[in-house]
Amino acid sequence: MTVYIARRAALAVLVAAGVIILTFVIAHAVPGDPAATWAGPHATAAQIAQARRFLGLNRPLPVQLASYFAGIASGNWGVSIHTHQPVLYDLATAAPASLELVIAALIIAVAVSVPLGLVSARWPGRPADHAIRAGAILGVSMPIFWMALIFQLVFSQRLHLLPVAGEYAPGLLFSNPLARHTGFDVVDALITGNWPMLGSTASHLVLPALVVAAYPAGLIARMVRAQVLDTVGETHVQMARALGIPERAVFGRYLMKLAWNPVAAAIALVFGYSLVNTFLVESIFDWPGLGSYAAASIGTLDTPAILGVTLFIAIVYVIANLIVDIVQAALDPRIRLR
Amino acid sequence: MKRPGALLLACGSALTLALAACGGASPQQHAAAHAVSQTFTYDTFAPVMVDGWDPATEYSDGIIAMSNMYETLTRYDPATHQVEPLLATSWTSAPNGLSWTFQLRHGVHFHTGRLMTASAAKAAIERTTKLNGGAAYVWGAVKTIAAPGPYTLVFHLKYPSPLDLEASADYSAYIYDTKAAGRGSLTKWLNSPHDAGTGPYTLQTWNKGQEFEVIQKAFPQYWGGWSGSHFNRVVFRVVPQDTTSAQLLRSGQVSFVEQMSPTLWSSLRGAPGVRLVSAASWQNLLGQLNSKTLSLPERQAISYGINYKGIIAALQGAAIPSSGIVPAGLLGHFSTLPNYSYDPARATQLLNRIGYGPGKKPLNLSLTYTQGDTNEQVVATLMKSSLAKLNINLSVQSLAWPTQWGKAKSASAAQHQDIFMEYWWPDYADPYSWFVNLLQSEKQPYFNLSYYSNPGLDKQINKVESLVATNRSAGQQLYHSMQVTILRQAPIAFLYNDNYQYAMSADFAGFQVNQAYPNVVFAYDLKPLGS
Repeated sequence: MTVYIARRAALAVLVAAGVIILTFVIAHAVPGDPAATWAGPHATAAQIAQARRFLGLNRPLPVQLASYFAGIASGNWGVSIHTHQPVLYDLATAAPASLELVIAALIIAVAVSVPLGLVSARWPGRPADHAIRAGAILGVSMPIFWMALIFQLVFSQRLHLLPVAGEYAPGLLFSNPLARHTGFDVVDALITGNWPMLGSTASHLVLPALVVAAYPAGLIARMVRAQVLDTVGETHVQMARALGIPERAVFGRYLMKLAWNPVAAAIALVFGYSLVNTFLVESIFDWPGLGSYAAASIGTLDTPAILGVTLFIAIVYVIANLIVDIVQAALDPRIRLR
Repeated sequence: MKRPGALLLACGSALTLALAACGGASPQQHAAAHAVSQTFTYDTFAPVMVDGWDPATEYSDGIIAMSNMYETLTRYDPATHQVEPLLATSWTSAPNGLSWTFQLRHGVHFHTGRLMTASAAKAAIERTTKLNGGAAYVWGAVKTIAAPGPYTLVFHLKYPSPLDLEASADYSAYIYDTKAAGRGSLTKWLNSPHDAGTGPYTLQTWNKGQEFEVIQKAFPQYWGGWSGSHFNRVVFRVVPQDTTSAQLLRSGQVSFVEQMSPTLWSSLRGAPGVRLVSAASWQNLLGQLNSKTLSLPERQAISYGINYKGIIAALQGAAIPSSGIVPAGLLGHFSTLPNYSYDPARATQLLNRIGYGPGKKPLNLSLTYTQGDTNEQVVATLMKSSLAKLNINLSVQSLAWPTQWGKAKSASAAQHQDIFMEYWWPDYADPYSWFVNLLQSEKQPYFNLSYYSNPGLDKQINKVESLVATNRSAGQQLYHSMQVTILRQAPIAFLYNDNYQYAMSADFAGFQVNQAYPNVVFAYDLKPLGS
């Protein structure tokens, strides 16, 4: 197991290095003057030149790249051109909001899609199955920005059930300000006992989380259905039925056990995918996460910040996949990690 | 224990939904919450404070927030077309126009607690002039300032100038406490950020890069007092998506939306609780054509190659045709100038002469516009399409405003865009700002981002303000002649004049469009109706 993890970690470093080189070259090929942006609108030519030296932009590109790699190794991901803060600090500020959204979405997706997948497999060809399959296809195929707009229109504008956008009601900024500890608003409100803020942050989370959840929910429901139908005719299942085990337990306990493996793999993949997918959702729901930070970084040609976001996403992908491999091995005795 | 995971998930989901139900609001709750709200929320598509917090040098969208914190000696009134008292209660000028005396309001406090006196106002104007940033040129005619009494301010001028009008400028005319930082650097102190104005609101917090970017609170010692109905807090909320802005407005979560696409704006007509305001502005959209990289025939061909009518039609009421550089309603506006219109044949002819155009070499150009501005996006798309017919390949890039500005001002000419799209509006109710900022030669580019230099025009620009002060009709004629020159030389494509399309909550009264202060809402003048 240790050898496997070490090998995967080494591969992950190679993948991340490739991603960095590619992003670095592309980001530097885009015309723009980060030094002028850094120095500000009133800067003189001398101040811009000084900024260029400070940012190391006067050095050849390979030297800049080597210096960037050395910085990463020592925990220095560079300084953002548009915020003037260390990129790691910016990521630590923005990432919790995105992670909170994606985690909430995945909780909703798993909680909804696994039972629906089982129901669909239990009564194949019935109206419920057709409805669930149609819903799953809709969830997977519907453009996320369109769904976000429709949800806003229906749940906020027409039904007035949920707030339109933002992290919490603006009035709470003054009446019940949130003390930040983890960066996860719902968690922070909960641990500080800030109940009005808890209600507001949770309600603001629901709509964007539902939108982000649509794709993983559709995917997982279809996977569960297919996996369960694949194994429903196998001998161990027939044996369980012959022993008189209730049908609900056969599905929930014996068939689902085999379905968990691909589902776990799918969760890992959609976690990374959703983290990127959430960028659009964040923009529509005015959610101050990585998406907003990435958009501002691209708009200001902020190379260190663009690299930081890309590297962060790459790392999340790699770690999620590694965790799934380990979990799969733990769940399925047929899998050996070598 | 059976399936603890599923149980936990179910509990989690139930808890989330329960909390959501608690936090969600019924229409009645929304209405009630909004009715008692004392917070005015200004929805903007991009951050407002991009050019620092120094009232002497800020020269960008900061005006939107700063106009609630800082005040000027006079303020332009669009109803009377004259300047009205603000920090000055009255003023007179000498018959020769070479000196002006302002009587200042008594009992005005800076947000630092100090009393505003004539010597404090003198110090502020002198600092602004010394720093020479932003629109400091509005004090360009001033030779010396004296404070013969605690509330009497006397300006001695180098040449006659309409100082009462210039003192109403939206930039660099603010009166602020120059002693706010004590012995430290005032610039650093202001950019920390702090404010040192006399306005009705003072800075509470600045959350750079965040959704709730600027929060201002009422200044209790404001000279105008707080009796009657007023908002006690002003929030500037950055909402990049205009569809979200529209939804936030409908649900009462923002009070005022600065810009949305014309289609979306029209769709709000008749929406309950929403008021739409449309008004001609003194703001225009310009395409500055890089005169260092583009020859005269190229600039003229581009000017003929833009489908102005198509742009105006696409913007559905948000744009009106321009004539020259000066919008209607200002001195120097003429509807009979030799303006460009869409003429592909003429453009082709001009391009063919220099080896470009259809069937010849392609002309590859770059254009930048401000990220998030839906109107500029429409214009850029239509320009790309109409210029493509002339074999001009326009590479369009949307960038954050500070980045596209930085790119245009870069020391390296290779970084400069060929077409720089930006809005311009006057610094006070006068056309001078367009000429002095966009067309006068600059060694180091600041806003003359077509890098245009014409010594003859420079001389005319230097002369025009004093001419207007002494012989208005001669000044008017000079503005005409300068615009004819500019149209012939084509350093700028005049795309259209803005027609403001504001959407706002019907929960307050007192909003008035003031073209001299573009996109500014003077929150103190608003009356919340629910309180």
